[in-house]
Amino acid sequence: MLQYVAIVLIMLGLYGLLTQRNIIKIIVSLNILEIGVNLFIVSVGFVDGGLAPIFTSTYNSSVDFSFVDPLPQALVLTAIVIGVGTTALGLALAKNIYQKYGTFEIDEMGEE
Amino acid sequence: MSAILLIVVPLLAAFISILFKKASPYILLIVSFASVIVLGYIELEVITIGGFASPYGINLVFDQYSLIGLYIVNTLFFLVVAINCVKFKEMSTILLIALAGLNGLLLTGDLFNLFVFIEISGIAAYLITATNKNPLATFNYLVAGTVGSSLYLVGLIILYAMFGTLNMADMANEIAVSGVDASLVAFPFLLMFIGLGVEAKLLPFNSWVKGILASSNKLTGPIIASVYAATIGFVVGRLLTSVFVFSDTLGLVITIILLASIIAGEAMAFSSNKVREILLFSSIAQAGLVVLVFLQGFIGWGVFLVVANAAGKFILFTVTNHASDELGTDEVNDLKGLFVNNKIVGLAFTVASLSAIGLPVFLGFVVKMNILGDLFAEGNLFIPAVILITSVVEGIYFVRLLIKLWYKEHDLPVVQYDFIIKYVVVILAILIMVFGVYTAPIETEANDLDLISFVEGGNL
Amino acid sequence: MASIELIIVFTALAGVLSYFVGRLNKVAGSVVTILASMFVFVSVAYFGYNNELIHSTEFLPYVTFSVTYLGLFFAILVTFIFAMVSFFNPFFVEKYKYPALYSMLYLLSLAGVLGVFFTNNFMSLFFFFEFVVWTSLFLIPMGRSKRAASSYYAFSTVGSFALLFAIFIMREASGTFNIVSSMASVNGTEAAIVSALLAVAAFAKLGAFPLNVWLPRVLGNSPDAISAVFSGGLEKLGAFVAVLALVKLAPFGYVVDATGLAASQYVIAALGALTIVFGTLMAIRQDDAKKLLAYSSMSNGGYILVALTIASSASVSGGLYHVVAHALASTAAFLAIGAVSRITGTTKMSELGGMIHKMPVTYLVYLIAIISMAGIPPMGGFISKWLIFQAVIDKGMILVAVAVFFGSIGSFLYVFRPLAALFLGQELPQHREVSKEAPFFMLVPMVILSGLIIYTGVLPNFFLGFINNVLTEVGVTPLVIGSYTVTGTNGVLQPALIASVFGVGVLIAFIIFIVLKKSRKVGLMDTYTAGNFIYTEELMHYSLDFYAPLERLYEKYINITKDFYKRLENKVVDLGRLMKYYFFTNKPEIMVLWIIIIMGIILWGDIL
Repeated sequence: MLQYVAIVLIMLGLYGLLTQRNIIKIIVSLNILEIGVNLFIVSVGFVDGGLAPIFTSTYNSSVDFSFVDPLPQALVLTAIVIGVGTTALGLALAKNIYQKYGTFEIDEMGEE
Repeated sequence: MSAILLIVVPLLAAFISILFKKASPYILLIVSFASVIVLGYIELEVITIGGFASPYGINLVFDQYSLIGLYIVNTLFFLVVAINCVKFKEMSTILLIALAGLNGLLLTGDLFNLFVFIEISGIAAYLITATNKNPLATFNYLVAGTVGSSLYLVGLIILYAMFGTLNMADMANEIAVSGVDASLVAFPFLLMFIGLGVEAKLLPFNSWVKGILASSNKLTGPIIASVYAATIGFVVGRLLTSVFVFSDTLGLVITIILLASIIAGEAMAFSSNKVREILLFSSIAQAGLVVLVFLQGFIGWGVFLVVANAAGKFILFTVTNHASDELGTDEVNDLKGLFVNNKIVGLAFTVASLSAIGLPVFLGFVVKMNILGDLFAEGNLFIPAVILITSVVEGIYFVRLLIKLWYKEHDLPVVQYDFIIKYVVVILAILIMVFGVYTAPIETEANDLDLISFVEGGNL
Repeated sequence: MASIELIIVFTALAGVLSYFVGRLNKVAGSVVTILASMFVFVSVAYFGYNNELIHSTEFLPYVTFSVTYLGLFFAILVTFIFAMVSFFNPFFVEKYKYPALYSMLYLLSLAGVLGVFFTNNFMSLFFFFEFVVWTSLFLIPMGRSKRAASSYYAFSTVGSFALLFAIFIMREASGTFNIVSSMASVNGTEAAIVSALLAVAAFAKLGAFPLNVWLPRVLGNSPDAISAVFSGGLEKLGAFVAVLALVKLAPFGYVVDATGLAASQYVIAALGALTIVFGTLMAIRQDDAKKLLAYSSMSNGGYILVALTIASSASVSGGLYHVVAHALASTAAFLAIGAVSRITGTTKMSELGGMIHKMPVTYLVYLIAIISMAGIPPMGGFISKWLIFQAVIDKGMILVAVAVFFGSIGSFLYVFRPLAALFLGQELPQHREVSKEAPFFMLVPMVILSGLIIYTGVLPNFFLGFINNVLTEVGVTPLVIGSYTVTGTNGVLQPALIASVFGVGVLIAFIIFIVLKKSRKVGLMDTYTAGNFIYTEELMHYSLDFYAPLERLYEKYINITKDFYKRLENKVVDLGRLMKYYFFTNKPEIMVLWIIIIMGIILWGDIL
């Protein structure tokens, strides 16, 4: 189920990139895309009824149960950080663009 | 000494250079020079990081393939820095990060780690291209790069869900062992290919290139068109030849994309009247050719195609971008007669472009002939025909450009090249000529590379 | 004894040397070209003729040589042309933009040409082929036109790449790059493709229809010495490839029983005939003497193609003899025009006249050259055309024969125009003061060439004997030659007899000229038309629009090939613009759209 949500978010992000002509809206679309990707990553590691993958004192190897895959969560942390970095950079560029053109609308900037 | 220093030292130096702003250009210069020198003292090995054995932990693969890549990328990077470190002082920290990212891309043996390095070098590249003073183009580059790497990540995660590994060599192995139908993995591979294709400047995914390179300066031109292009060429080469498995449909789709990229690139260069545009479209075509060669599985000659392109594009972009920085224009007609008073630089430029066309006595000829020979040996007649026809077009616009730059009587553009540019481009041009004639070492190296199996190397 | 490898390396090194000498002193650099190319010619001709060339290699990697009669034939001829033309270099080098580079490239292309003729390996052949292309390429823009170089590049690379494609197909069939064994290994469809591709290469190099656009541009606009080299030397690379394509490989396609000729031979002969007609008609139109000779070179290339494709003993020896005759004649003619343009600075016929008064030797050289080009005895061009006519008629190719005769008659029409316009007629006032005979060292090569033109016309048997060796080598029955006779299919030719009759005629004319009263020289103004005195002398120039009525018949069609390539170029430009418009905007959505489309395609494909 979570996968579908993630895919819908990715599609929404792509749709936003396809249709929006405003710098800020494009950055927002990028963020939606990234959130979708991150959710998708997390969903991959999900195991129904699984436990947090931590060895605790209550851990008993004789009982049959399964851990949640910890690796996607580690990956998603990295991806989130990178996403934040890109967003920040994008916003900085947006500021530059606004200073240069006085607008956020790509259509109003004109071709080179 | 361990190859991990090639990533760690530039990163550390980047932080130090923030503290010592004044010394930062020198730190950059020293670090980039040291990484070239150090390469000679590192033994070939696979480095396990953090004590986790290979399929579970991240490993760096320092084999023959990455050694060549590191040599060429670090050398060219050092040359770019040597030419630019005075003028672009404020970029020193970012260039150090870029160096770490590029070395990481070449070394890593882990698919997710590759994504991280793509983003690191990507963010550095966005910042470096901000010096073009064309923020909209940089923004496009950022959007394209982010979308690309997100798609790469999605593809990667699908593969992870299927095979439970992120290690390149292990992944290749798992796919082979599991005997999965190639069409099942086609979609994730396509996503990853698109992600890399954005960086590798392949046709439908490269709308950022024009904005970046057409307004590039002395720093961004060579670094994006030569250093970054070479790195991403090596990465694509490694993935295409060792990790990816292509189904027929996907192979066909990608071959069509690549051929379209080559044809369109040459046609666009042919129809351009600005020097930088001509060069950038030509490099789009070359990028398509590089990926095509790797897709056919020719590792050795693919590597040297990347090397020849990188060296050539370095000269071409350095020379033209310096001129267009000085003159404020890059219309061919405004640059006419540029070389009349800059003969040395002009000769280097001529050598680089003749090598790009693939004329004899230059490196490009050797590489092109061997690639065509290999393609024919596989019984493939269509691809060589396309390559040959497009290289006629390529030759025409390069020859036209050269003649315009060499011949003009009056009102010559006044451009002074400082001695460091002269030295650098001339040495590179001489190397292009030397290896165009003395081909024995290249041929042995190319044959050696063809024998390298990354799967074995990665799992060691 | 001389090693081919050493000669080539020597030439290349001499080229580099001439560059550095040329940096110090322009003229000294070009003197190096004379010494080096003379040395090369003498060693190739002497040792080659005595079978003393060593073909082993010690220094050059991957390159192997062998001495064949075919290669030797072309090599001696082309090195001779290079050596003769090199005498002109010191006198022209001052005018060039990059004199030192000129000297270097001149010798480098000579080295490349030698490589082409002597290698026995197709890959090396291609290497030298392309090497010649780029070294000669940068010689062209030192002349008048900058565009000529790129069109030369375009057409000759199309040719070279066709050659390369053929080479690789042969490699697949035989597993080797060796010229002899790989050409022997192809058969059936492959042989047809290979021979067609090689023919494309030959057409491109010879500037034959429809790959003809570059030739007049290059020959008409290069520096004067380079025009001579191209016409006499580099263009002959095409003839060399044509021998490989047309004579060594069997013709293909439907064979007509009555004549024993295959369809491919008809096609190529037809294209050759078109080249002859097109070149002739275009040459008739030209006002520029160099352009005129350029189109004449093109039409002569057509003769070579027609001759070689018929592949009978008379035709192949005629074709190869035509290679010699045309090389000598066109080089001499270009050099003579070059000598004139050095003084006057123009080659336009309407701006020149009466140069005979100051340059009698140059005039004589040009006269002999054009007699040979027009195929009139007792010059070399007559012998070769006679053989070609024989072969064409013998094979019953009526239409081609018409074209061949038309070209011959057409050349009467055009080659005499420069003679009349440049050398005869009234001296024009603007050149009257400056003009004088060319210096001694420019006259030397011209006189040598003229001597050879007459020699080839009077005593062709020495060269024909050598050509017979080539014929045996490529598998054609040798031509029957006596000590003073040439036997064609329809009769026996006695060139020495013809020449002596001709000589008697000239002698009588000369005696009459001596004995009778001298003509009186008059100034250009000393004339009247319809009772009016002439004030503007230039209007009296009669060679302007000389054949206007004839030209009017076909002037609509003269640009068909040029327009075709122009349109092709525009199409490529359009495609490029379209692509730029579609893919390279400053909006990121285009890329996203394409990503979605491609993902759609692959998903759809997988579902199917």
